[in-house]
Amino acid sequence: MPEVVIEVDRLYKKYNLGTIGTGSFRQDLQRWWTTAIVKKQDPFFQTDNSPEARKKSILALQDISFEVKHGEAIGIIGSNGSGKSTLLKIISRIVRPTHGTVRGRGKVSSLLEVGTGFHPELTGRENIYISGYILGMSKAEIKTKFDEIVAFSGVNDFIDTPVKRYSSGMYVRLAFAVAAHLEPDILIVDEVLAVGDADFQKKCLGKMREVSQSNGRTILFVSHSMQAIKNLCDKAMWLNKGKMQAFGEVAGVVNKYLTTVQQAKLKQSWDVPQTAPGNEWVRMRSVELIPHLENPDEPLDIRVPLTVKFSFWNMHDNMYLSAGLHLFTPAGECIFDVPSPSRICDKGIVEGECYIPGNLLNDGPYYFSMVIVKDTSVPLFNFEECLTFELDDYRENIQWYGKWWGAVRPKLPFHLTQTESVLL
Amino acid sequence: MSKGKAVWDWEINSKTSFWGHGIPELWSYRHLMVGLVRRHFLLNYQQTVLGPLWILFQPILTLFTYVLVFNKIVGIQTGSIPPVVFYASGIVLWNFFSESFTGTASTFKDNAQLFGKVYFPRIIMPISVINTHALRLLIQLLLLFMVVGYYSIFSSFSIHFNIWILAFPFTIILIGIFGLALGLLFSVITAKYRDITNLVTLGVRLFMFITPVIYPLSTVPENLRWLVQLNPLTPLFELFRLSLLGEGYITSYQLLYSVVITLLVLVGATLLFNKQGDKLIDVV
Repeated sequence: MPEVVIEVDRLYKKYNLGTIGTGSFRQDLQRWWTTAIVKKQDPFFQTDNSPEARKKSILALQDISFEVKHGEAIGIIGSNGSGKSTLLKIISRIVRPTHGTVRGRGKVSSLLEVGTGFHPELTGRENIYISGYILGMSKAEIKTKFDEIVAFSGVNDFIDTPVKRYSSGMYVRLAFAVAAHLEPDILIVDEVLAVGDADFQKKCLGKMREVSQSNGRTILFVSHSMQAIKNLCDKAMWLNKGKMQAFGEVAGVVNKYLTTVQQAKLKQSWDVPQTAPGNEWVRMRSVELIPHLENPDEPLDIRVPLTVKFSFWNMHDNMYLSAGLHLFTPAGECIFDVPSPSRICDKGIVEGECYIPGNLLNDGPYYFSMVIVKDTSVPLFNFEECLTFELDDYRENIQWYGKWWGAVRPKLPFHLTQTESVLL
Repeated sequence: MSKGKAVWDWEINSKTSFWGHGIPELWSYRHLMVGLVRRHFLLNYQQTVLGPLWILFQPILTLFTYVLVFNKIVGIQTGSIPPVVFYASGIVLWNFFSESFTGTASTFKDNAQLFGKVYFPRIIMPISVINTHALRLLIQLLLLFMVVGYYSIFSSFSIHFNIWILAFPFTIILIGIFGLALGLLFSVITAKYRDITNLVTLGVRLFMFITPVIYPLSTVPENLRWLVQLNPLTPLFELFRLSLLGEGYITSYQLLYSVVITLLVLVGATLLFNKQGDKLIDVV
């Protein structure tokens, strides 16, 4: 059985909110008095969540305990501010926990940003050395790997040029090249892959895969890309507001995370017209996105067909009505604008639904807006952002981990045939 | 869950130690220290016309000003030592102290970005700053030797080497240590209480006036001499001049006082730096 290389035991991290300055010296004295002289608990450390306590400080991590075994790759997921980076910083020895212990074996290197220790005025060569030292490499190690690092970065011709003259792409490539050649027992990687172009991301993920799989190194990896997590990691941890929500086999945790995060935005409904959004013409009654999944716990990925179901109260008789569905990206680009056929409606409830086939949209977040139209041209009511959802990525037999391009990703008939087999 | 502490290589908890890092860990980061010294040098003279020559120009220009103002205009007597030699020795030594101190006193403030992203023993940073200034001092000492040599050949001033020359490296090391110690102390304080930063720059400028940089201790009126002698740097400056130029006002009690104060500040500041260093990342 592989040995445990990191043991995290009841970890807490508290951050004080507000400005530190006035009064902090007095607080420091008070804290020193109670903890060191009177031997009581720190008066400013509290685990309760009373509104008053919450105002002054925030618990970035609460009661986190887990073990990592040798050779495991652990992905850490969670929304922004869930404590992922704080956890990595504590294990990297950058910040101290407020409570709890981390114990471990072997050399730890952390890669929390690309280009740690880089200085724009220095040349590529000098930066490789200084950055390597800062990340914990020895001089001999850098010397033997120097050519490899330069080759990996692809900046050979500019190695004696100050990096401030580099393009941002070159800078990032060189910075990552240094980090990629670290050989610690435990590698800690924050969301560093968010920078750089798709090509670079692919290269980085490939390198990390190589490190974790062939070299048997232990990796802790934070990412927002579920695809990358699934591809790289054996296990995953889901942090939510500083608490560990799930820890275990990667697919299970990722699915649980995705479904929980998404559910809340997939349906809206109102019981009575008075409180529902709308106006004197129409009032919304419900709007819902139904994914066609065999098992509700499965992730919502790009293959899944979707149905948008909606209903509204029509307040007038003899109206010639139609509805329109608009799909947007978070950036506000409209992907499609689909109108329903029009029909004469009387006072009462009107229902509609629209089917969106699977293998049409790309992975990523989207939102729907709705419009209800009179006489095919007069908008009665715009219901903005009525549904939001995110499609998970799905790839089969594709060795490419970067973000897939495009707003849509339709599965179109596409053939590749060899017509002649001749040696050229 | 726990399998005993002995089997773990490292442990991170909320307690920070006064003792900090063991010598083996610091030794393993020696390349980083050398690399940082190199970086300080490269960065200071990148894209300048005169480059490293600035190390010499800065004291030369200061020397001209001091000789003009303090000797020619104010008329401070420098004993048997020619004014140029006297001021040159004071300036070179004072620069070493003040730059060591101000350079290390902002350790956390200047490196907050780096310290927040990667771990290495924090004390490597101030040590590299001190070493950078020590190297510059060595270059400036060559200038000082040239000035001393010139005056001993072309003027009536003659240096009689005596046993005190042995104290020469000792004074430099002690002044470096005092600068580092004060710097470590103030790096912790300025990280927490920002207004102290202004006090550091102002304080070091005023501190020069109670150090025998621009005047020899012997010219200070008896009734004010105690004030200058309270300063632990005073005996070191006097000893420096005594060892190199053969004239200085010093007693063994004063020297002992300096050594004790310097070591006390060093120990205290190092302990504080170790204890507080890891916590400060949350604050700066």
